Amino acid sequence: MIEGFRLGVFSRGTTLWDGLDFVFGDAAAWVVTGPPSSGKTLLLSILRGERRPDAGDVVVSGESLYRGNAALAHAWRASCGYIPEQTVADARLTVGNLFRRSALAGDGVRESERKERTDRLLEMVGLQGASGWRIAELSISERGRACLAAELLRGPKVLFCDGLVAGAGVPFREMLWGLFRALAREGNTVILAERRIPERWALAAGDPEPVGPFRVYRLAGPPAEVKGESG
Amino acid sequence: MSERPSLWWIDWRLSRGPLVRETLGRFLFFCLLGFALLSLLLSGGASRFLAGRYAITAVLRAEVPSAEAEGLARKVAALPPVRSATYRDPEAAWKEFLRAYPGLESLRGAGGNPMPGYIEIGIRPDRLTGADVDLVASALRSVPLVEHVLAGEEWLPRLLRAGRLASWVGWGVFGAFLAGFFLVGRLQERARAVALAGDFAFLAERGVPASRLAFLRAAGAAISGFLLAAAGTAAGGGALFLFLRKFPFLEGVIGPTSDLFLPRTVAAAALFSCGAALLSAAASLLGWRAARTGRK
Repeated sequence: MIEGFRLGVFSRGTTLWDGLDFVFGDAAAWVVTGPPSSGKTLLLSILRGERRPDAGDVVVSGESLYRGNAALAHAWRASCGYIPEQTVADARLTVGNLFRRSALAGDGVRESERKERTDRLLEMVGLQGASGWRIAELSISERGRACLAAELLRGPKVLFCDGLVAGAGVPFREMLWGLFRALAREGNTVILAERRIPERWALAAGDPEPVGPFRVYRLAGPPAEVKGESG
Repeated sequence: MSERPSLWWIDWRLSRGPLVRETLGRFLFFCLLGFALLSLLLSGGASRFLAGRYAITAVLRAEVPSAEAEGLARKVAALPPVRSATYRDPEAAWKEFLRAYPGLESLRGAGGNPMPGYIEIGIRPDRLTGADVDLVASALRSVPLVEHVLAGEEWLPRLLRAGRLASWVGWGVFGAFLAGFFLVGRLQERARAVALAGDFAFLAERGVPASRLAFLRAAGAAISGFLLAAAGTAAGGGALFLFLRKFPFLEGVIGPTSDLFLPRTVAAAALFSCGAALLSAAASLLGWRAARTGRK
């Protein structure tokens, strides 16, 4: 469980938000929505242990990320996967390089396993045969999906995605929905930061919990199940 | 070999092309440095050249029998600074004189051979110092069989000073090239650290401490620096070996090829490789630090 207590951020000479409490339970997919410049990326950085909040603390499984042992914070980050909002960063790399780099971050991915799983994961996100493609030549949607596949290589316990669903585009939302549901079913936690939640997902999630400028949704199950539709 | 990816060779895994080019350049540079290092070590700067041209001459008294003169030469040869001590009897001395000054045969008239016998003493290149020359000259002067000792003591200090200066210049140039290697290496490491900054940030975000990355990169640089320096010095030594075999007259300036295999030469090459490893590690750490500072 990831808990944020009385979190506050002071940025650009003003208080962005203060006194926010979050609780993200294990084995579930969560969507945090908020308007532009509301600090969604910042919130993910704080939850990942990357950026110390100006107020409050983050507790993961009972251990403080910022006031506890530094080794625990490193271990926590090592167990996380992170797909940043897609920019021109890493343009010099190929998709295969993303996987190679991801394998370096994890201690347990063997070379043979990496090669085998790379093809499988790329196929899963609709990028079969893309291993040699250059990131600079990919669309925003393709970059996001390639990064997602590379992060999944390490099998992170917690996956943070920043603007991934919006970037992936409508045709891939259902694929992502199914993927996140499967990850949650296997005991993983997925936290998404988006400007808005897809309508079908919102219907499945039910009423969000308002936290400061954000709305926090817990994705319970596939939209079809919730709505009673087939497929 | 473990299949598990290791952070030891992280630069190799993330940036092979530039690293291969840098490694090739460093190897060639170490070949040149190794050649220069072994040449300087074997020659002792200018010592071997000077020692090959400098000799102490002990002029013997006229009545000294050959057997006693040869015995004295053997005793002198046993002195630590002495490389060789050769006795020339009066007849050999006369022939040498005539070769040097042809047409003076008339000097050998009724009085017989006017040339005395002498012992020519060569000094070891590494012992060609004022103190060692004094030691040998003093030992010879105390022997009753010796009439004169010609050791060039008036001009020897100037010669030795010039030799030392030449050695310093040689080692200075070598040191300057080594410093150049360090500075270029630091710039290369910095450029690579900047180019890979995104990858390092990626790893840091995923729980790999920056200090561990810096340490492992430096350790990798040290190991590759040691191996490159050892290989480069071996290649440079091989080139020097062939060079001396092709131009044997240079052995008088640099030294015999057999000296390349002396334990002290090998030990010096190993020490040089260790130094190169330390410089490579330092260049890696400084490059890393500069890249991180520059980013902030």
